[in-house]
Amino acid sequence: MFRSLRSDSAPKITLTINGQAVTAAAGQSVWSAMVLCGQPVTRRAALSGQDRSAYCAMGVCFECMVVIDGFPNQQACLRQVAEGMTVATQTITEDRGAPDAGL
Amino acid sequence: MQAFDCAIIGAGPAGMAAAIALAKGGANVAVLDRGARVGGQIYRAAAASPLPDASVLGPDYTAGAALIAEFNRAEITRFTGADAWHLGDDGRVLFSHLGDTHELHCREMLLCPGAMERPMPIPGWTLPGVMTVGAAQVMLKSDATVADGAVFAGSGPLLYLIVAQYLRLGVPVAALVDTTPRQNYLNAVPLLPGALRQAGQLKKGLALLREIRAAGIPQYRFAEGLEILGEDKAEGLRFTANGQPYEIASETVFLHHGVQPNLNMTRAMDLAHRWNPQQLCWQVEADAWGQTSVPHVSAAGDGAGIIGAEGARIAGDLAALNILHRLGHLSEGERDRQTAPGSARLAAMAPFRAFLDRLYRPAGAFRLPQNPETLVCRCEEQSLANLRAGFNQGARDPNALKSLTRCGMGPCQGRQCGHMVTGLLAEWQAEPPEAVGYYRLRSPQRLLTLEELSRFQAVPAPAQAEAAE
Ligand SMILES: Cc1cc2nc3c(=O)[nH]c(=O)nc-3n(C[C@H](O)[C@H](O)[C@H](O)COP(=O)(O)OP(=O)(O)OC[C@H]3O[C@@H](n4cnc5c(N)ncnc54)[C@H](O)[C@@H]3O)c2cc1C
Ligand code: FES
Repeated sequence: MFRSLRSDSAPKITLTINGQAVTAAAGQSVWSAMVLCGQPVTRRAALSGQDRSAYCAMGVCFECMVVIDGFPNQQACLRQVAEGMTVATQTITEDRGAPDAGL
Repeated sequence: MQAFDCAIIGAGPAGMAAAIALAKGGANVAVLDRGARVGGQIYRAAAASPLPDASVLGPDYTAGAALIAEFNRAEITRFTGADAWHLGDDGRVLFSHLGDTHELHCREMLLCPGAMERPMPIPGWTLPGVMTVGAAQVMLKSDATVADGAVFAGSGPLLYLIVAQYLRLGVPVAALVDTTPRQNYLNAVPLLPGALRQAGQLKKGLALLREIRAAGIPQYRFAEGLEILGEDKAEGLRFTANGQPYEIASETVFLHHGVQPNLNMTRAMDLAHRWNPQQLCWQVEADAWGQTSVPHVSAAGDGAGIIGAEGARIAGDLAALNILHRLGHLSEGERDRQTAPGSARLAAMAPFRAFLDRLYRPAGAFRLPQNPETLVCRCEEQSLANLRAGFNQGARDPNALKSLTRCGMGPCQGRQCGHMVTGLLAEWQAEPPEAVGYYRLRSPQRLLTLEELSRFQAVPAPAQAEAAE
């Protein structure tokens, strides 16, 4: 179980994670907000559909890609929460028809 | 567009120290970091901790606040939340910042991208609930978020550090499962006399281990055959220790067995690299001042070979002094005079680092997957068996294997699988890693959208640059 040790005085903002209204401390990462509200699944693997969740929390594994305000492939561990933000678990990780992203 | 004298990528100890020295020396500096705050891995949020009392994280952490304050006072153009995704040897830097694309130009480039954790491909490592120890660090420092009743497994100082930090905060820990092989202790003995020249460091490490022991949490040593339990998410860890099988239930397992340089930036620039046989990873070729195979591109800190936070800070300073010389702000003699103490300090630290590398050298069975079903490439879901099939079809180097299997083609661009692929191909062909090589990488170093590209801004150096020229 994840929990926060933050003092209660931190200013709060409200966002929506997979339809659930969530209160989070300003400045917090989207990933932390997700895991603290009991929604650790960030994306589903493209082939197997298996649940995936943040692995590195520092921007190098890309397991935490979620849809933020309609934009896919956003790294939840690098983004901070914002008032009114909507976050959704990502079900397509990449477009297999598209040319490789920079490789 | 007015160019900066120097652009620094990464604002950890290396990048911050370098920026401070360059600004002091009269150079016009831009610093980019993808983090929301400066500080890098070790000093993450050290200047604005969300914890009620950050001193539990230890003096090495709180010391970062002073460096950050000095960095913030210096005359530096800085961008946080800025992800650099193209660095050209023409001095062009492209980066994403707040959803926009920015471009700047520089005469000298200093790469300080730091390290990432060595992936630990045990069965089940892709299940939700399995994270790295570094992730636990990041969540604790940036977000004051902790996991109750987690299992910590692996080897090395950063593993013991986080366990001690959790215990000081009163966060229950289910177990510490240490995978340091028995043989490593014996192998490290010849390096002990050298390490003892930095007795303070050794004492600090021993104190940490004693602190954990005194807390009385379950501890297992010489663990082997690690396996994550659970189908859809982590439910625990299975392993053997001293011939005994164990299973510990937990929904969170933190893994760690050392760090390796972040390679994508130096590789995408096509700089020369070499295999470091002590640290079992690739690193960019650089001289005593961090100058790479492209003279106006330097690298410093853990991103150029693992030397730790204090080493990174010194290396950043040395690189900056050399860049000041290259820019014409310092004579060669003055550079040599000013870099001498730092170089001597780095040399004095080397024996202790060598001791750590030997003692905590990860066993092959944890670096390379053993189970055919285990995924090597998390993004494209390529298992050990798939890669072996690609090898059997004739793929002999990482690029050939990538085009045959898609391993390394996903959004992480080989950051997780790259070292494993080099290691596996080396093992299968009984060749050294140098003969096998690494993925050929190109820009952009991250996923981009057209939308983001279209919102474009140029960042000229402030006018003060002309005075310096
Ligand atoms: C997850 C993790 C946790 C660690 N925790 C500790 C610890 O608690 N104590 C300790 O002694 N050591 C720790 N280390 C070891 C650490 O590598 C060094 O001690 C020290 O931080 C190295 O300093 P550096 O300046 O070389 O790199 P870092 O401190 O890693 O700084 C590199 C910076 O570059 C930025 N960056 C990377 N790529 C880009 C890009 N493309 N665009 C923009 N910015 C970029 C990163 O955001 C980062 O801030 C940790 C390492 C890792 C990987
Ligand atoms: S958790 Fe690894 S990139 Fe975000």
